[in-house]
Amino acid sequence: MPVSQNDAADALRDIDQTQQRSARLYGYRVASPHLIVWGVIWAVGYTASYFRPQWQAVWPALVVIGMVASFWFGARTQPQGAVKFEWRYAATFAAMAAFISAVFAILPPVTGAQTGAFFPILVGFFYTLIGIWCRGVRMLIAGVALVALTLFGFFYLQPYFALWMAIVGGGGLVLGGIWLKAA
Amino acid sequence: MDQPDAVIHQPVRLKIMAALKVMPESELLEFVRLKTIVGATEGNLGAHIATLEGAGYAKVIKDFNGKKPRTRVALTKSGRRAFEKYVAYLRDIIDQAEG
Repeated sequence: MPVSQNDAADALRDIDQTQQRSARLYGYRVASPHLIVWGVIWAVGYTASYFRPQWQAVWPALVVIGMVASFWFGARTQPQGAVKFEWRYAATFAAMAAFISAVFAILPPVTGAQTGAFFPILVGFFYTLIGIWCRGVRMLIAGVALVALTLFGFFYLQPYFALWMAIVGGGGLVLGGIWLKAA
Repeated sequence: MDQPDAVIHQPVRLKIMAALKVMPESELLEFVRLKTIVGATEGNLGAHIATLEGAGYAKVIKDFNGKKPRTRVALTKSGRRAFEKYVAYLRDIIDQAEG
């Protein structure tokens, strides 16, 4: 049963395409719970910011809850029997904290809305990059939509911006997570 | 390897192996997701998975997710090795033709 050069090339192309599809769907499955958790956190945080602006202290608590949930979901995606501390999650949060601190030191936000818009744009930017590099169209769409909706709310719905972000940002992330899971 | 591994050489089984190989080791892939990735019918996919399982290349785990029955598949260590050898065999053919 000899295999010709063309057959070999076709088989390798099939393998490559199948592996790309499989890796993309696996990535969606891993990312999905993170989007849902952070969507809920944004919805709660921005709703609190809109109705109770003096409750800004709720945000650090929510971020800690989100990080713990992310660690937990990260540990769950480890192969069976290998659940362990995933240092890359800690390193990612540390790198993001350092980056955000540096940006705010150079360009300190003047209003709460600027701070409220910065984080969704940053997250949307990361989703867009992941979508581009992992060929994940759904991730790319989620990232671009998040940035676009945040900018729209910031420039055209300033008085209701926190509420807009609670519904569109938080709700959008939850729906995005469900959409990825369904892929 | 003068001859390709006949178990893997079949196109649907090749796709199944490729889809499972890219997953982290010991990670199980649900049957329904595998069906989407490979683009095979349920019966066809089930038959090919049974062949891979019979060859010791895949393991099948049937359990319940809540009350819903679930079938999940993963490559065994020998399945991973066999797939790597098969890919190397294909690359050799192309290299020889080009060299």
